[in-house]
Amino acid sequence: MEEQQPHDSGLSPAEYSRRRMCQVFIGGMAGLSAGMVGFPLVSFMARPESLDLNKPLEISLDQLSPGQALYAEYRGQQLILLTGQAGTLVFNASCPHLGCNVAWDSANAVFHCPCHGAMFAADGQVIRGPVSSPLRKVPCEIKDGKVIISAEV
Amino acid sequence: MRVVRYVFEWFDKRYDLQPLIEKNVTKKQVPRTLSWAACFGGLSLLMFVVQVFTGILLLMYYKPHPASAWDSVTFIKSNVPMGWLVQRIHSVGANLMVVLVFMHMARVAYFKIYRSPRELHWISGVFLAVLTTTMAFTGYLLPWTQLSYWGAKVGTEIPGAMPVIGNQIVKWVRRGDSITGETLGFFFALHIWVVPAIVVGLMLTHFAMIRRTGISRPL
Repeated sequence: MEEQQPHDSGLSPAEYSRRRMCQVFIGGMAGLSAGMVGFPLVSFMARPESLDLNKPLEISLDQLSPGQALYAEYRGQQLILLTGQAGTLVFNASCPHLGCNVAWDSANAVFHCPCHGAMFAADGQVIRGPVSSPLRKVPCEIKDGKVIISAEV
Repeated sequence: MRVVRYVFEWFDKRYDLQPLIEKNVTKKQVPRTLSWAACFGGLSLLMFVVQVFTGILLLMYYKPHPASAWDSVTFIKSNVPMGWLVQRIHSVGANLMVVLVFMHMARVAYFKIYRSPRELHWISGVFLAVLTTTMAFTGYLLPWTQLSYWGAKVGTEIPGAMPVIGNQIVKWVRRGDSITGETLGFFFALHIWVVPAIVVGLMLTHFAMIRRTGISRPL
């Protein structure tokens, strides 16, 4: 509120205090209204907490077929689910070299990295390329016809 | 307050805003005998603005597809923070807007404000009333509940009573023979863009005409 002295505005003290009261009340009502609109608005824009980022990823086994890869996203990481003779393996798609996402080449049964030509076998072991460590495996469990991934990645 | 005054003076010095504000807001003349009933038009506008803002918020989560529309509305109502409030304001506000528009029309009709020179105010207002009910009707289908579905079914059947062209109109409105996902998409587009855009254009014309002729003096 602007500081106005009574003798400045030419108003008598009674009028001055009345005006001051009106200013405070109108300002208060305006502030209250802004809060009543602003609070729900800001709350609505927040991310709903029920969108649980830490809930396990569940993928039905019906979606998987032998020799084929399924790509999935889990906690911001790209995963590859590969079904073979040994059952279903889950890999972190990020290449251990510089982090490009590898792709499954079902014709040759290898993983290819598009960036620097690294090649990995179906079990994740290195076949070729500028990288020495295998693809990172992600632990999973198979229950009720579903692959469940709940590990940290 | 000092900051507000400073910012205002910065703009005022350059664009000479003070006379504009005095003419249109602080020293605007209205007939002394005007009653509160003259507020219904302005309140209809206020409701439209509320509907636009809450509608934009709902759009962030709403999914216009038969498989997910109902789930997304349920998600808004039960999971999004304050989503229940925004959804409820939008649905209650829609009813309120229709009521206010018709109260505005009733007053204009009763006091014969539609007479010369204000005939076009009335005509544009009738179009606005029809468009308001169109927004309400198309919005009613979007939650994809049993009520929405049957409401839309009965509502879109009405033009079928017209001879010759009736059935073609029904098919056109429904995008087919019955209420399907196509109808939902069509109503969604009408509800969020087509009708509101026409309403904004017509409203600006409506207001410009009122400013030009001035508000009607009570008899």
